[in-house]
Amino acid sequence: MSGAITFKRLRVTLLLLMLALAGYLVYLDYTVRQQFEGRRFALPARVYARPLELFVGKTLEPEHLAAELKMMRYSANDDPAKPGQYAYKGNTVSIYIRDFVFWDGAQPARRISVNFGRGVITGLTDFHSGKNIDLTRLEPVPIGGIYPAHNEDRVLVRLEQVPNSVVNALIAIEDHKFYSHWGIDPRGIARAIYTMITGQRVHGGSTLTQQLVKNFFLTPERTITRKFNEILMALLLELHYDKRDILETYINEVYLGQDGNRAIHGFGLASRFYFNRGIEQLELHQSALLVGMLKGPTYFDPRRHPERALERRNLVLAEMQRQGLVSQMEKDAVRYRGLDISDNPGVGASAHPAFLELVHRQLRRDYFESDLRSEGLQIFTTLDPIAQVAAERSLSRRLDQIERARRLPTNLLEGAIVVTSALNNEIHAIVGGRRPRFEGFNRALDAERQIGSLMKPAVYLTALSKPDRYSLVTPIDDSKLVWKEAGTDDWSPDNYDKEFHGQVPLRLALAHSYNVSTARLGLELGVDEVIETAHLLGVEREMAPFASTLLGTVNLTPLEVAQMYHTLATGGFHMRLSAIREVLTADGKPLQRYPLKVEQTIGAAPAYLITAALQDVVREGTARRLNQYVLPDIHAAGKTGTTDELRDSWFAGYTGDRVAVVWVGNDENKNTRLTGSSGAMTVWGDMMAQLNPEPLIPPQPENVERVRIDVASGLRADKECANSVELPFIQGSAPEKSAPCASPSAGGKIRNWFQRVIGKD
Amino acid sequence: MKQSTCLRVLMTFVVVGMLSACATTPFEESPVSGNPAVIALADTARNDIDAYRYAQAAASLERALRIEPRNARLWYELARVRLGQEDYPQAENLAKRSNSYAADDTALRKANWKLIAECRRELGDLAGAEAALQKAK
Repeated sequence: MSGAITFKRLRVTLLLLMLALAGYLVYLDYTVRQQFEGRRFALPARVYARPLELFVGKTLEPEHLAAELKMMRYSANDDPAKPGQYAYKGNTVSIYIRDFVFWDGAQPARRISVNFGRGVITGLTDFHSGKNIDLTRLEPVPIGGIYPAHNEDRVLVRLEQVPNSVVNALIAIEDHKFYSHWGIDPRGIARAIYTMITGQRVHGGSTLTQQLVKNFFLTPERTITRKFNEILMALLLELHYDKRDILETYINEVYLGQDGNRAIHGFGLASRFYFNRGIEQLELHQSALLVGMLKGPTYFDPRRHPERALERRNLVLAEMQRQGLVSQMEKDAVRYRGLDISDNPGVGASAHPAFLELVHRQLRRDYFESDLRSEGLQIFTTLDPIAQVAAERSLSRRLDQIERARRLPTNLLEGAIVVTSALNNEIHAIVGGRRPRFEGFNRALDAERQIGSLMKPAVYLTALSKPDRYSLVTPIDDSKLVWKEAGTDDWSPDNYDKEFHGQVPLRLALAHSYNVSTARLGLELGVDEVIETAHLLGVEREMAPFASTLLGTVNLTPLEVAQMYHTLATGGFHMRLSAIREVLTADGKPLQRYPLKVEQTIGAAPAYLITAALQDVVREGTARRLNQYVLPDIHAAGKTGTTDELRDSWFAGYTGDRVAVVWVGNDENKNTRLTGSSGAMTVWGDMMAQLNPEPLIPPQPENVERVRIDVASGLRADKECANSVELPFIQGSAPEKSAPCASPSAGGKIRNWFQRVIGKD
Repeated sequence: MKQSTCLRVLMTFVVVGMLSACATTPFEESPVSGNPAVIALADTARNDIDAYRYAQAAASLERALRIEPRNARLWYELARVRLGQEDYPQAENLAKRSNSYAADDTALRKANWKLIAECRRELGDLAGAEAALQKAK
């Protein structure tokens, strides 16, 4: 009786257990199918520089073109027969451009010849047809990615693209019964359980399916439950999916190395990362190396441990031969070949992290962070690699030189640069510090520093917008000023040279950056009105309506300053600076474009006058030593800025085609012993000198006239006056009186002539 | 709802019709640029405007403007695209930008002022539109 009850109990328990197991299996089955099918690999957003446009008449040095091709890992070849190769001989660069999908459609691979003469493209032809090409472009330089969790990066491949050598090596080394087993290898599992019980480390024993399950669904700790789940899930996976699906997913999933903080996943990316080629082009010895690395991608890293990697590769080749997957001949043909690893390890940690950070911030305004990190978006930016490289080089080089020449402590100085187009809203370069590869404090975007005299153009522009009261020659009072304001101490600014200069023409008060006359002018105009002008120039930040704001006791980032000076450079058209042109989906469909928007916020005429005044700063004012770097016929415009106790050295300026802002200072606000012109300006000049700047010749507005002015009196001059300048005036604002040196009038001239002829009164 | 869509389509036709009607002004008969690259892009943009593919037209024109940023004709074409998209504030500002580079091309200046007048009228600024029309004379 009791035996029957016990038996019955046992049966019920067993039944319940089986039910529970069945339920668990159903749950696992659901999870596996759901995740395997639902799971798309998280793909990073890929970020590209602007594509280099090629057309006859374009200003471009052949060296710059060659440098850009190298950044895209084009290889030099006397006869470029395949996409990705180029030849540079004499004045001709022949390029076999790779195909690429742009915003406005696909551009097929094409071999072209580019001829140069004196830094300009003089000929552009299709190599095969010999016909002239109007316009073409290189594919853009990749500058980095916005990566998924754990910084996983991968390039997805389909199994048809994967060469047999990879599949064979995988089968030989990782799982030689792959095509016949049900997902697990019983002997391997027995071994694994045994080692686990005896407390040894678990090695191998997993099929490809099990490895995939582990990477895909499970956490890395080693427990019996986890092993159990792994086995069940592997069986379920094999039940639902065929071997090809499993193999393809495995090939895309596996971890194959590290590039800075970027994790290299999948054979598709690994073949680019290690060999600079698509997976289709892998040769036997390269496939063997990658498969060999699976055992320990760091330990067998072919760049860091080439000998180990080579030994491991040859082991894989030998094993393949032993299993009959390659012939002795095939093996021997590659056995003595080197690793054939490419030099350039890619753009893992971006070469230009400061620019990438700006791109990422701009994208975050329009996209979810999770989409940026998983949807494989293609981001086309405005980065100009030529400008970016020049800016990085100039900042590092000049700060080193300055510290040595002035015997400053090493690494006292830091700096930042923003370069933009002067003609549209595009940001060309961002440098966040003197070590540009280093991701860290991005001073171009985040260092909020006093701008000092960089504020002055807002004061003078406010004045010049009132032609009934001010022109470039209006005398401004530079004598001692004491400003009393309720609730604050008396304010009495000093000039940098600690002197007062009496009556100074407006343009020279700016050129020499006199504080006292600027403050008096600003107070005459009203601080609020000057602040309003700064807002019209694009400074969005609130500014305190104190008198000292006129002299730049305002903290701005270099990027904000760039926005302000950009509006001056465009002749009064505000365009919000942008780092992105277009966003495409992973498969090349247009998603979003960031169009150029303009708004005229400053009158054309006052904008024209302030540029003329800022050109005087360079010609005869505080920035005149810029001519040691940039030729006078460029007519660059700019302004130096120096703050109290020499804490900040600024230069903001523009040429015909670019605006650039340079800040030099110390992160802890220490004295740098540098003025704007001895620090930042030299960086600016050194950089611009590399960029072949266009001369600054702004179009003259209709209501502006040019009048010759006697320097001494500030009145109308003529040929009789020895020292005169031609200056722009808004119509009706030029002085009416003639200077003492000039003949009083046409009538007077005739009289003079008579006097000379007759020889008496 | 449907009616207003119809009306809008009709209006667009009228606007485009008016624009193509004045497509015989002297400056439009001369090539937009001496640079074949720019001419090709401007032609593409023209075709896109005619087919109401404004985003593509804008992309081509911006690309052309990166090659010739001081080309007043290209800025005018971009203003036309924004007008077609009924983005009147942008169209007006782009026309002003065009004027800043127009130098002594009086025909182009007039066309810009006409376009500005139209934008202002659409935005209900009748006095501003009248002032712009005066400048177009």
